[in-house]
Amino acid sequence: MLEIKNLWKKFGKFHALNGLDIMIPQGSLYGFVGPNGAGKTTTIKIMTGLLSADSGQVLINGRDVTGGLEDLKLSIGYVPDFFGVYDNLKVNEYMEFFASCYGLDGLKARNRYMTLLEQVGLEDKCNFYVDSLSRGMKQRLCLARALIHDPLLLVLDEPASGLDPRTRFEFKEILKDLKEQGKTIFISSHVLSELSELCTDIGIIDQGKMVLGGSIEEILHRVNATNPLIIAILGEKERALTILKSQPCVQTIAVKDQDIRVNFIGDEQDEALLLQQLVDADVMVRGFYREQGSLETLFMQITDHDKEKAVLVHENEPGL
Amino acid sequence: MKMNPVYKREITVSSRSFRLALILVLFNCILALVVLLNMYSVVEQVKMTAEIQYSSFINIYAFVAVVEFVMLMFIMPALTAASVSGERERQTLDLLLTTTLKPWEIIWGKLMASFGTMFLMVMSSFPLIFVSFVYGGVTAYDIFILLLCYLSVALLCGSMGICFSSIFKRSTIATVVSYGVLVMIAAGTYAVNMFALSIARLNVVNTYASSVSGIADQANSGPFLYLLLLNPVATFYVMINSQAGDNQVLKSLNSWFGPHPQNGIMKHWVVLSIFIQLLLAAIFLFTAVRAISPTKRKRMNK
Repeated sequence: MLEIKNLWKKFGKFHALNGLDIMIPQGSLYGFVGPNGAGKTTTIKIMTGLLSADSGQVLINGRDVTGGLEDLKLSIGYVPDFFGVYDNLKVNEYMEFFASCYGLDGLKARNRYMTLLEQVGLEDKCNFYVDSLSRGMKQRLCLARALIHDPLLLVLDEPASGLDPRTRFEFKEILKDLKEQGKTIFISSHVLSELSELCTDIGIIDQGKMVLGGSIEEILHRVNATNPLIIAILGEKERALTILKSQPCVQTIAVKDQDIRVNFIGDEQDEALLLQQLVDADVMVRGFYREQGSLETLFMQITDHDKEKAVLVHENEPGL
Repeated sequence: MKMNPVYKREITVSSRSFRLALILVLFNCILALVVLLNMYSVVEQVKMTAEIQYSSFINIYAFVAVVEFVMLMFIMPALTAASVSGERERQTLDLLLTTTLKPWEIIWGKLMASFGTMFLMVMSSFPLIFVSFVYGGVTAYDIFILLLCYLSVALLCGSMGICFSSIFKRSTIATVVSYGVLVMIAAGTYAVNMFALSIARLNVVNTYASSVSGIADQANSGPFLYLLLLNPVATFYVMINSQAGDNQVLKSLNSWFGPHPQNGIMKHWVVLSIFIQLLLAAIFLFTAVRAISPTKRKRMNK
């Protein structure tokens, strides 16, 4: 649906984006994560037409919109990390104003914003002043505002910041509904746990480059595959340890209570064979599974530059 | 015709605010005070001397027009200096720029909204100016020219405020810079001419025998006089002088800055100065559009 190819942006001597590539599939809920200063906001500003890139392409459904801001603006709805509301303006006037900014007016605009207000649960707040609404309501109003021109892609920058858990939950439900209606949603957020349960796809940006991207299932599966194998044993553990020590795929073994933690480099078939060997040797296996990885762990691993530097220093030390 | 969305929102919001009502009340109160005190003084003079000077009533018109002009000149930057920076402070400018609204439409909407307020102020004050109609001497054409002069100064001051509001992130800085530049144009060009005139007088006195009486009166500010074409106060001064009976542009300015030769510029001073000021306003507006265009703007000042 939206594709960013080889995007470069420099602010003075600082390279904000270094050949960034993003591929957002149609109908996906794409989570965009990265540490502070990684280039998330710059990317979003370029996507929404608020900033021009030094080089690179932004493609929507295969069509290059880098030069044509009008096409880009019609295709994207933007919800920033602030509310952006006006004093002395009622909810319906606020929606009407943004509708007219997209060339919609009259009955068409009214029908459109009433549908959207109903969708975000603000239909009964039509005649309320925008600045009298709660944070959660303002956020929902901003979402409705971003959808007024029926965009193909909805871009949300830290949408849940400052919201209470209940409002966050309600907001997530609205996003899920929108996804079901076929909207493609791009969310930039720091709340990784929320992204992992909400998003279908994810991209991790660091130092202006995409360091990891793909479907969240695939990525978590890849993370899990490198995690230790947990074997829960009932009774005698010696026999199990003997079998494990004889396995070429086993790298390290650690015992904690009734659980054996094994760094196992084999694939799913090797795992099955190991389990069969243990059962055949009358080891009472109560549990056999890979430790579940999380997006947080992955994010920390990928963006830990101190660790990378430490490794580099270690490698460059003379005599090693 | 489709109404500019920014203009529509601005007038909706300003019509609800207490600020507009307060500005209108204060503006008209000051004008009314000026008119009534002036009338009182004229009538008292008639009672004392038993002589009716009809030129005094024209002076009421001129005086009120000047007060209104000065107030407009100083209110317009205040109305516009927070227009774009206010959007930036509310963080709504980025939202506007992500819509299909063009940067020039945003600037145009802002200018029209401030013009609307200015127009409301001018129209609401017209009954006070019309007081001079009671005694005669002022024609409808004079009022029309006066309105044109007000519009041109409002456009210049308004576009200046919008320009600095677009360039600077904070409204306070935009307001200070707008007033600074306005004072520089209004008082600066005058000061330069006065300085040039005093230097010229000094030279004339030193060169010729100081005993030759009146020779210093031949000194003038030279080509610096044309700097006053940028100055809306000078334009207004010349215009109101011609309306109040003295039709000589040359005489108006020469009484300030020494005798200057009659030429095409002097002959068409008001038209030419209004044209130059409108050109200056266009440059300010163009700069404002560039300053908010996402693809063209440079890093903004803090």
